[in-house]
Amino acid sequence: MSHTVTIEQIVSKTSDLPTIPAAALKVMRETQSSSASAASVARIIVTDQALSARVLRLANSAFYGLSRKISDLPEAVVVLGMKSVKNLALVAGTYPWMKRPLTGYCLGPEEMWRHAFGCAAAAQIVARMSRKCSEDLVFTAGLLHDIGKVALSVWLENKMGAILLYAGREEISFDEAERRVLGYDHCQVGFHLATSWNLPEEICSACLYHHTPAQAAEHQSVVDCVHVGDYICSAMGFGLGGDGMLYPFDEGSLTRLGISPDQIDAITDEFVEKFEEYEALFSEIAA
Amino acid sequence: MSTGTQLLVGMADIKVAKGPATFTCLGLGSCIGLVAFDEQADVCGMVHIMLPEAFKDKPVDKIGKFANTGVPAMIAEMEKLGANPSRMVMALAGGAQVFKFGSAASSRLDVGARNAEATLEILRGMRAKISAQDTGGSSGRTMIVKSDTGVVTVRTVHGGETELCCLRRGRRSAAA
Repeated sequence: MSHTVTIEQIVSKTSDLPTIPAAALKVMRETQSSSASAASVARIIVTDQALSARVLRLANSAFYGLSRKISDLPEAVVVLGMKSVKNLALVAGTYPWMKRPLTGYCLGPEEMWRHAFGCAAAAQIVARMSRKCSEDLVFTAGLLHDIGKVALSVWLENKMGAILLYAGREEISFDEAERRVLGYDHCQVGFHLATSWNLPEEICSACLYHHTPAQAAEHQSVVDCVHVGDYICSAMGFGLGGDGMLYPFDEGSLTRLGISPDQIDAITDEFVEKFEEYEALFSEIAA
Repeated sequence: MSTGTQLLVGMADIKVAKGPATFTCLGLGSCIGLVAFDEQADVCGMVHIMLPEAFKDKPVDKIGKFANTGVPAMIAEMEKLGANPSRMVMALAGGAQVFKFGSAASSRLDVGARNAEATLEILRGMRAKISAQDTGGSSGRTMIVKSDTGVVTVRTVHGGETELCCLRRGRRSAAA
């Protein structure tokens, strides 16, 4: 089968694609920098009024249990910390397009969103247990690991149904079906998108290798955490569209992270608690 | 057509109702949706089980989360509404294998199969009447139960919506 849209076309025609707000991307880059400060992060967020409003709403939610109301961004960064505010900015920035239905993947409204933050939550638990990488970075990587699906769904909505049927008929994983039909898969599209946005390398790697973590030459711990988080989140039923069940699980990720298969139940148990906490927190931006 | 109270049975939830109600258990991956119905008392219950067994070293935060705590808790809630366990008829769905595992992978990873087995073991121990089960496989499921008709349906992305069974005696013998 031949493909009609190249991966470069998908990524280059960004005007038609949902994008993370520029301010959220700048915040992410700024927090990676050694010179970042509460003031510099706040200065970036306030350039985007809608983003600022959503971040403040999140900061004032019951989740953080603050005794007084935070009324401006610099204060939010000081009280919650730079990393928390970075994640809030990303969550607030990605929600508007992650919440959309991805009909090509048989995902209804908010299903991709719940899968994205569910994977982020599960991957964060795995990172904490493994102590191999930053929980904060893994959260971001988990949140963005499937951005390729969002892009593909926008461009190839009509074709995705055929890919779904093809994958089912051939009993192959959905990314394999994408490669056979389109010549590329959502992991590669996500990687190109993440690279074009100048996202940190670890996040680009998680986009590209989250279904094939053994192939990641660099940042493998981050990729492994996202791979396991993706599995836990899918097992609990979040993001199970048409493609949800056919991906291979690489037990090597657990081995590399020093996690025993016997710990899967404990991770799942904690995931349920964490997911519900985040769901309550993030409902603030949907309100 | 919706009938009676609409009950969404979320993660680790236990919901029970006397009289007409529609129970919906959304997005069952490796989790189990278990429904019990006492026709005489007109009491129906559903639990969304996520893991086989509670942890010995940790307090149970949500009793419906585990098969070994959720099943007895659901039955106890139904008894409060006048149901009798000896009259209950049950059906279960879910327990899919999420992602493919290699042949050498640990069986501990297949939470779906362990959930189904743990639930069935408890039901067998109670000598429960199991009308039907749709467990395993590789599809996520949504389970819907309408207590006024007793019809249990299961919906999957690939298979659409199909009737699993009917928990009311009249329909059961008519179908037999």
